[in-house]
Amino acid sequence: MEPARGSVKNRIRQLRFERGEMTQQELAERIGVSRQTVNAIEGGKYAPSLEVAFRIALVFAVPLEAVFQFDPDAR
Amino acid sequence: MMSSQAVTREPRPGASFEERSVWIQLVGVALALGAYFVVAGWMLASGITILPAFAGVFVVAVVLLVAILVGGHLVAALVGRPEPADVRDHEIEWRAESRTGWILATGVIGAIGALVVAVEPVWVAHLLLLSLYLSELARLGLQLVYYRRGI
Repeated sequence: MEPARGSVKNRIRQLRFERGEMTQQELAERIGVSRQTVNAIEGGKYAPSLEVAFRIALVFAVPLEAVFQFDPDAR
Repeated sequence: MMSSQAVTREPRPGASFEERSVWIQLVGVALALGAYFVVAGWMLASGITILPAFAGVFVVAVVLLVAILVGGHLVAALVGRPEPADVRDHEIEWRAESRTGWILATGVIGAIGALVVAVEPVWVAHLLLLSLYLSELARLGLQLVYYRRGI
């Protein structure tokens, strides 16, 4: 079996900017995680659970795919 | 829509309370149990093979471990606001545990094998303790790798 490829990209930094420079701390408090976790998600170092992903989308009032995109060719 | 270049990048936050806690546990286990193994190794080399003779050294190591953990967490709480573990912390711990559990399992199987061939209890006990020590060091170390490198 071939190893799985692809990675999850996100637009959280852009969306925070568009919401009046919402800070990572503010987003973290609204979705119930630490600021370090938001930083890790934003930097692509941590793919969040579906529940956390939905909470982030809910904060920005956008569909899930407007926040997260799957790039099947990325390694 | 603003271009991504216009978006300000926030500075990378320092280590979370949970990550600091893992560092404290790693240092505590490495120092306290490491010191125990140095002393126990010396005792075994001197021909002491009565298990109760090691109890006092072990109690001192446990007291040292508790002191490092309590003191370390007090300092960590003063430096930064303590926060409960979140979903990422749990996932990091679970992943590290699932990748290092074999070390303890190997020690347990080895200890059973040692009992079968009638090895002295002092060696069996130390084999179990050593596998627990190595397993904990590996788990805590791997957790720190995951915190830094990402999962």
